[in-house]
Amino acid sequence: MLTVAGLAKRHALASRPLFSDLALTIAAGEIVALVGESGIGKSTLLNCIAGLETPDSGSIRIGPQALDIVRLDEAARAVLRAHRIGFVFQAFHVLPTLSVAQNIAVPLLLCGVPLAEHAPRTQALLERVGLAGFADRWPASLSGGELQRVAIARALVHRPALILADEPTGNLDPRTADEVLALLLDRVREPRASALIVTHSQQVAQCCDRIVTLTADGLR
Amino acid sequence: MKTLAWWLIRAQFRTRRAATLLSMLAIALGVALGYAIHLINAAALADFARAMQTVQGDPDAVIAARDSAGSVALASINDIARDPAVMVIAPVIETRVRVDQARLLVRLIGIDVFSAAAVMPRLLPRHSERALTGSIFDGGVYASPALRDKLGLQDGAPVTLRRGDQQWSTRIAGDLPAAGADDLLLVADIAWVQEHFGPDDAVSEGRVRLSPDTDPARWRATLTPQLPAGLLLRAADDDNARVSNLSRAYRVNLNVLALVALLTGAFLVFATQLTAVAQRSTQFALLGVLGLSPRMRLLQVLLEGLAIGVPGALLGLGLGYALALAFTQLLGGDLGGGYFATSAPLLVPQPLPALAFLALGCGASLAGACYPAYLNRMQPLAQALKTGFAQRPGAARAPHTRLWLPSLLALAALALTQLPPLFELPLAGYAAIALVLVIGISCAPVVTQYVFGYLARPGLPAPQQIALQNVAQAPLMAQVAASGLIVSFALTASMVIMVSSFRVAVDHWLDAVLPAPLYLRSKATPLPQELLQALLRPDAPFARIERTAHASLTIDPQRPNVALMVREIERGNPGARLPFTGAVMTPPSDDLVVVWISEPLHEIYGIQPGQTLRLPLLGGAVEVFVGGVWRDYSRQFGALVISRDDYLRLGGDFQPTDLALWPLPADAAGEAAGAWLAPYTSRYALELADAAEIRQLSLSIFDKSFAVTYALEAAAMLIGLFGLAVTLAASVWLRAGELATLGALGFSRRMLSRAVMLEGALIAAVGLLIGLACGIAIAAVLTQVVNPQAFHWRMPLDVPWSAVVFGALATLAAAVVASHYAARQATRLPVAQVLASAQ
Repeated sequence: MLTVAGLAKRHALASRPLFSDLALTIAAGEIVALVGESGIGKSTLLNCIAGLETPDSGSIRIGPQALDIVRLDEAARAVLRAHRIGFVFQAFHVLPTLSVAQNIAVPLLLCGVPLAEHAPRTQALLERVGLAGFADRWPASLSGGELQRVAIARALVHRPALILADEPTGNLDPRTADEVLALLLDRVREPRASALIVTHSQQVAQCCDRIVTLTADGLR
Repeated sequence: MKTLAWWLIRAQFRTRRAATLLSMLAIALGVALGYAIHLINAAALADFARAMQTVQGDPDAVIAARDSAGSVALASINDIARDPAVMVIAPVIETRVRVDQARLLVRLIGIDVFSAAAVMPRLLPRHSERALTGSIFDGGVYASPALRDKLGLQDGAPVTLRRGDQQWSTRIAGDLPAAGADDLLLVADIAWVQEHFGPDDAVSEGRVRLSPDTDPARWRATLTPQLPAGLLLRAADDDNARVSNLSRAYRVNLNVLALVALLTGAFLVFATQLTAVAQRSTQFALLGVLGLSPRMRLLQVLLEGLAIGVPGALLGLGLGYALALAFTQLLGGDLGGGYFATSAPLLVPQPLPALAFLALGCGASLAGACYPAYLNRMQPLAQALKTGFAQRPGAARAPHTRLWLPSLLALAALALTQLPPLFELPLAGYAAIALVLVIGISCAPVVTQYVFGYLARPGLPAPQQIALQNVAQAPLMAQVAASGLIVSFALTASMVIMVSSFRVAVDHWLDAVLPAPLYLRSKATPLPQELLQALLRPDAPFARIERTAHASLTIDPQRPNVALMVREIERGNPGARLPFTGAVMTPPSDDLVVVWISEPLHEIYGIQPGQTLRLPLLGGAVEVFVGGVWRDYSRQFGALVISRDDYLRLGGDFQPTDLALWPLPADAAGEAAGAWLAPYTSRYALELADAAEIRQLSLSIFDKSFAVTYALEAAAMLIGLFGLAVTLAASVWLRAGELATLGALGFSRRMLSRAVMLEGALIAAVGLLIGLACGIAIAAVLTQVVNPQAFHWRMPLDVPWSAVVFGALATLAAAVVASHYAARQATRLPVAQVLASAQ
């Protein structure tokens, strides 16, 4: 599902590369935890995979057509993200000016899904993340855990092939974090999507199918 | 995608209601002013053209004398009538008369009914059965409905028409059914008019209708060289051009002022959209991460700009129509410009101009949204998601490398001020003004960085240190806030300086042109001989009298006539009566006639002092020497003065129309002089005024004609202040986390509030200083380039420092109040909450 090969990235002002010659493969339906020290480049690797940053060399292929995201222009990367990738962030990033249902429906709009399908799909996901009845609520009235559930629903609503999650439980208390993590893993496994989860939490990492560690020498 | 765009627009309007509404109103104001001016001018021009067509008809050509003292000999009319290409030629005598004792001067047009029916059918009279008097052939006169209403004229009523000492007692024989609602006209048979008012064996004009197979342009081209020197052949189009030229510069100037309002509207859209983009940078970054393409992120902001522009422009069209209605009722069709003497003209909105103004409003709004849209397009998604709005997505440049753009622009602006008018309009001057504003804005980052970087030295109290550092770093928001003030204060200061310079110049000019304590005038008809003779008697209570005769001449048929003043002036010392702008030249020979031309005549026709040229005078072409250029703020289309002695030497008939009177020293107040003149002024409806009255009236007309600019200045300053408040609030909002951190570190709310207020005051000070410099530069362009090219007069630059400094201090105080609001917003939220939400 995801194949990273020979990936290298150097920051403009850094004396040595952040990482070089990275290789990573994630099979369809596999959930991989990415761990490593702070500042080692986990988020940068995630950004490169999502096409938000451009690596200096290497290739990143996503999905059955195995498109190399590195070779695509900015607009094509946006299209690829809209159709194939779902995101869950540590800071939730729920749009405060849209209702819960509208927030979840944003990826459907970006994928061009007919409007008639929006309500049933968002409703079904709201129920599956335990937020039935929250459709018309505004984000300001939600707790952190609820906001992250909205973000998970939004990441899954367009049935992406790959979920990228950056510290998805980092802002939550331990109990809520457990609930949200369980929900995320269940909802990712349900449609046999793949996932790459960046985390500092050993507990989160242990719940994944595989753990890879990013070090100064590469991925282990 | 449309749904998402709509959601975002709706959310933007909901969360930023006040800023969005004010941006909309600013666009509406610009469109409304522009559209109102267009509607009023179009209506006034159409009205004026229609009135002209009533009198002139629709001839293929008009043969007329080049100067008002000249006429077209009947022999010339007969020669033209014999031309096989001429179907009919309608002779006309036109003069101005007073009806009975009324002060009003009325056009009296003598026509030949049979030829007029073919060329000027709207002048044909309708005989009244109730008149009980003879028809047009028997000497009856016919009055237009407007004149009948104004003077209460009834059919059959006896009237006496007076022109100087000439008079004609006759009766009203009917009306002019086709005359317009504002036309004040009298029509009579040409022979009767000629008998009572002249000229003998000549007419004022011949209006020609050619046979259908004749090409009018070719016919005119063939005949023109054969005409006597004092005659000209003009086309109907020339009259239209003359009407249009009459107020063209005034109209364009008003439209430019309206564009200024639109520009400030565009700037407000810019400030609103930029702050909106900055505040929503994380949201846009998220949408980008989710798959919203860069193009769509750019289009979204443009769409939001359009969503402000379309309703704003539509509102502006409605408001413009209402304004036009109100203005025409209050100020007339020329907005107080004094070009057309008609009552409120009929406003007829046309779809095409309305669409054009709609597009202009939308365009201004789109232009304002362009840079914010570009910034939104260029935001690095991962960084924006993590740390918020990136103010400079491109690489930062050293301050000195940012100086080349303002330097280049300054050179370009200087070059533009040297260009001549384009299409007879100061378009290059207007472009130079726009460039000055761009220079001011592009200088802001460098100036803030240098000045406040220098001031922010260690050792200052912490709030001051923080405020200075913030401004020195010149974040985008601070620059935007300063730019708003630069634009608005520059425009306001420039208008204040220009109007003040003009007023001071007019004041000095009035000193020079009003040397006598008393003035008597008869509005361009000759003064009665009875009065002129009485003034020569020893009992006349005057120490000195100077007489002037007013006439006019045509140098270019497409331009308004040039005023000719025949004055009792010393040929050897004209500077005693005329305010010359340069040296006075002496003619090479005493035999050569000398004229002194006004500044507008010099500017419009490029006539130079010391030059010898042939002028259409007294029905011929006379060689004259140009003895100098004098300042004239009264006659925009040019005037020339000739001494009475020269005029008489040329064979002219000196018929004074105006008198400058110096009462005897014992009668300094002029009371005895006024009493002595009273019988004449009432009998002949003459106007007597003292110099102080004329000065007061002139200055009040001046103030009235600039009243509209004061409203625009106030609007510009309000918009600038609002822009400052919006951008400061947004800047503070963006730095909420930073301010909360300072709060957590021990800064009290009072210290934070003081730092934010100081920052606002410093930004405003930078904006006002640069704005003042730009304002002085723009005022220089207005007085030295735009005014000479548009209105053909110059004036020295005179900066009213007290008014400008007071305006700057008032703006600074208002900016501090705006900053106080932003500071309150910044420190209102609990520190812990801000810090938590910023994580």
